[in-house]
Amino acid sequence: MKILVVDDFSTMRRIIKNLLRDLGFTNTAEADDGTTALPMLQNGDFDFLVTDWNMPGMQGIDLLKAVRADAKLASMPVLMVTAEQKREQIVEAAQAGVNGYIVKPFTAQTLKEKLEKIFERID
Amino acid sequence: MLETEGLITEDNLARVKDLLATMEAGDEAGAKEVLDELAHIRESDIYQEMGKLTRELHDAIKTFGMDDQIATIAEHEIPDARARLKHVIEMTDKAANRTMDAVEESLPICEGMVSRSSDLHDSWKRFRQRDMDVNEFRVLAQQLDTFLEENTSDAGKVRASLNDVLMAQDFQDLTSQIIKRVISLVEQVEDKLIGLVSLTGEQFAKPSERKHEDGLEATGPAVPGLDDAAVVSGQDEVDDLLSSLGF
Repeated sequence: MKILVVDDFSTMRRIIKNLLRDLGFTNTAEADDGTTALPMLQNGDFDFLVTDWNMPGMQGIDLLKAVRADAKLASMPVLMVTAEQKREQIVEAAQAGVNGYIVKPFTAQTLKEKLEKIFERID
Repeated sequence: MLETEGLITEDNLARVKDLLATMEAGDEAGAKEVLDELAHIRESDIYQEMGKLTRELHDAIKTFGMDDQIATIAEHEIPDARARLKHVIEMTDKAANRTMDAVEESLPICEGMVSRSSDLHDSWKRFRQRDMDVNEFRVLAQQLDTFLEENTSDAGKVRASLNDVLMAQDFQDLTSQIIKRVISLVEQVEDKLIGLVSLTGEQFAKPSERKHEDGLEATGPAVPGLDDAAVVSGQDEVDDLLSSLGF
């Protein structure tokens, strides 16, 4: 399972990567916004995307839409981990086809639960 | 008693009487002349009033512009505050990375301790059950020696890392001091802006309704007490909202 972690703050990428490693996901890569993430997804062999919303360049919601619009990537599970917590935004992400939505600050337990829930649905 | 200034003066009253007399007499040209005279007087009043307002505005702008505190704020203190806030970002970033460095160094040490303890525990159980020959016991004794030695050294490393985590928190005190200073600058700017608004008069007297942000624009973390009811309060509400959407 290869996971791409997208966040503009390196500290948050590092936290998420550490938590993922603790959950047994050691194969991860990083990108700092949607613009760099999208070509990595298109040219790589990623199985899973974890992305922030508020980033310079291409925002997470636009990355999600681009992934869903790309025939090769359309079925990739996407987990959003973001400080954006307006109801309208959560609804927007759901409509755009997000598989999970975590608001920051979050706990290791929340990340574990959401990942398990996503994988349950895929299996 | 009639006023000597303003509209109702002896002179103006006389003019109006003239106007009435000329009109009653059917004197078209005479009436027009008096009317023109009255209109001219009214116009010059307006010009005078406008002149007065212009002077007041000019004085006000001069007073405002001459307040060198504003110039200092604009030229020095705001760029200075910007640099200070950037420094806050750098300090918090450094502290977060220093903490994570220490944690990432400690985690494999702890994992090693767990795995060595568990190996040793297995051998120890066999020894207690007398399921061990002398040669095996010699190996166990040696393992125990190594274990104790390594544990002492590893625990020391973890202790050093924990101290480092502790020390990395010193950013909180320093960044708070910087942020407090910037808050006081924001208060000064607020005072000046209120002064400016009151100078421009009633036009801005009533603040318009606070503009609501576009619901979908990314705005970063919600701040308790500042952001409205359109915001969820935590993960549980996100989960409830998503499950109401069929997730």
